Amino acid sequence: MGNKKILIVDDDPDVRLGMHVRLKANHYDTFFAADAISSIAEALKHLPDLIILDLGLPAGDGFVVMERLQAIPGLALIPIVIVSARDAHANKARAVKAGAKAFLQKPVDTAELLAVIRQALGDPEHSGNPTIYDLGSSVS
Amino acid sequence: MSEGPLQVLLVEDSAGDARLVREMFSKETPDSFELTHVSRMSEAVLRLSKGGVDIVLLDTGLPDGQGLDTLRLALAAAPGVPVIVLTGLADEELAAEAMKEGAQDYLIKGQIENRALPRALRHAIERNRLQTETDLIRTHQMQFKDEFLSHVSHELRSPLTAIYQFVTIVLDGLAGEINLEQREYMEIVLRNVKQLHSMINDLLEVTRAQAGKLTIELQCTSLSDAIVYTVNTLHGAAAAKEIALSSDMDGWLPPVCADPTRVRQILIILVDNAIKFTPPNGAVKVYARVAEDPKFLVLEVSDSGCGIGPDMNESIFERLVQASDPGSAGRKGLGLGLYICRELVSRQGGQIRAKSAPGHGSVFSVTLPVFSLRSLIAPAFRKGKRTEGPITLVVTEIGSQTGWLSDEVRAERSHGVCELLQRCLLSDLDVLLPKMGSAGAAELFFIVAITDRSGGEAIIRRIREQWEDVACIDRAGLTCSTYYRPLKAILRSPRESAEEGLERVAAGIQELINEEISARITNHGQ
Repeated sequence: MGNKKILIVDDDPDVRLGMHVRLKANHYDTFFAADAISSIAEALKHLPDLIILDLGLPAGDGFVVMERLQAIPGLALIPIVIVSARDAHANKARAVKAGAKAFLQKPVDTAELLAVIRQALGDPEHSGNPTIYDLGSSVS
Repeated sequence: MSEGPLQVLLVEDSAGDARLVREMFSKETPDSFELTHVSRMSEAVLRLSKGGVDIVLLDTGLPDGQGLDTLRLALAAAPGVPVIVLTGLADEELAAEAMKEGAQDYLIKGQIENRALPRALRHAIERNRLQTETDLIRTHQMQFKDEFLSHVSHELRSPLTAIYQFVTIVLDGLAGEINLEQREYMEIVLRNVKQLHSMINDLLEVTRAQAGKLTIELQCTSLSDAIVYTVNTLHGAAAAKEIALSSDMDGWLPPVCADPTRVRQILIILVDNAIKFTPPNGAVKVYARVAEDPKFLVLEVSDSGCGIGPDMNESIFERLVQASDPGSAGRKGLGLGLYICRELVSRQGGQIRAKSAPGHGSVFSVTLPVFSLRSLIAPAFRKGKRTEGPITLVVTEIGSQTGWLSDEVRAERSHGVCELLQRCLLSDLDVLLPKMGSAGAAELFFIVAITDRSGGEAIIRRIREQWEDVACIDRAGLTCSTYYRPLKAILRSPRESAEEGLERVAAGIQELINEEISARITNHGQ
């Protein structure tokens, strides 16, 4: 079976690259979009297994993207994980209600991101993961 | 303010006094003031509610209103309209009180000099305008500061994300092998990224605290678990400084009524602080016990650090205040941790204190209320004025078919279900209990109802109807089962007092709840 495909939607090129390196090392294939419009086009083109979606995007925010994805039959069921710098208190409930599988706040703990992705994809635990440095004890 | 004559409303029941005031205005140019006279408070309120009044001259002795009450009514009827109080010669004390309550000025009847009245009116209006403006500016400034802090904190997160991602990528060897020295330096970067991250979180937390937006979900919470969690989390940080971190509990401790995440947050801040301010080879201890007042638990975090002066024991909890420590010049953070702690503790019904002397270490003690089923159910029993009758426990179990994706999702769903259940209750006879403990994979909700079998069935019917009504997306992947368990004991037994009855009922309910929870833990374990 081939690698699972993940579409990374984020307007920050550094964040996109960082996610790509991390996900590639965990045997995922990655595709990118930097705004709301191209995210739909890329999703249609690659039919990803999962979408990592930022909320603050040019040309319409992540909520708009979710709405559009859900209106397209072939894309409506792709699990979406929100990764955003926006306030969790104000946006988490809204994101989950809008159909997101999870809301993760930037900076995202690497282990948590990978665990959420695996769970959203319904994958069993990967074995032989490299050491993961977590973000520590901050409680937010 | 409107152009044209100033609209003056005179509220005065004595025809003679009203005439005197009218005469004073007659000497003014006719287009500068327009006087409306009413003699009852009710008429005044009616006139004020229509708007357009620039200032009120208010007699404090009216047939339908006396003293400060008339002032309060006037201020409430037309917020922002200045009021000058008219009093008798012997009432200066009352006048002084009126000023404190928000009157702009007072005039003593019979003592008003010629031409003094129009001047007093103009002064009062001007003062009132300045005051309103100042208030507005202050509100705007506060809003701006909050928005600014919130905006900056969020904007800082994006670059921090990129730094964190690449530092961990290098450390994990994803960009090739690194040597020991490189690893050491990258770990220093990572440590600083974490520090920056927690500072940003603190900033946001303070903004939330000031806006009254700290979220706290009170439930039955184990303090011992929070202590174990904290000691495990900070064990490494203590060991790195060769500080002995230990915890001790005074026997078995009852649960507290608090938010478990917030209790952990408080503990982390206090223990982290203690480690920071204690020199190498020192000791940090966490100790918990029942307070002198058994309705509270005390949590103590003590250290053998530099200590703080007695003058700082109070101010240390203010924002941006830090004890100056000549012994170490290291960075200490923003000075927001203890402020956040105090906000969190007081929002959960407790208190926080510092006891310290320079050179002798510090002890921070926090009190939190003991979880009491009795005090939770008492209001319903008193409100409903029920002294007898059967009691039923309604149990609602919400499970996830796929397992909970994350704690956040679980908390989100749990919150939604609480709101749903709350809508199914009669506020004076039913109590929805906060979370009573963990029960395997499911979320359990308990409702104590003063009702019999058919009443219990009615609640269950309402819950099922509500459950069907909620949008599909909210209950997707969830299972809901709800049933009732009658309590064998009834509320009133002839030989006991109401308090004893409540105690017995609470114990009975607790027993049922324990059964429900332990049944699930056993099933789950199999």
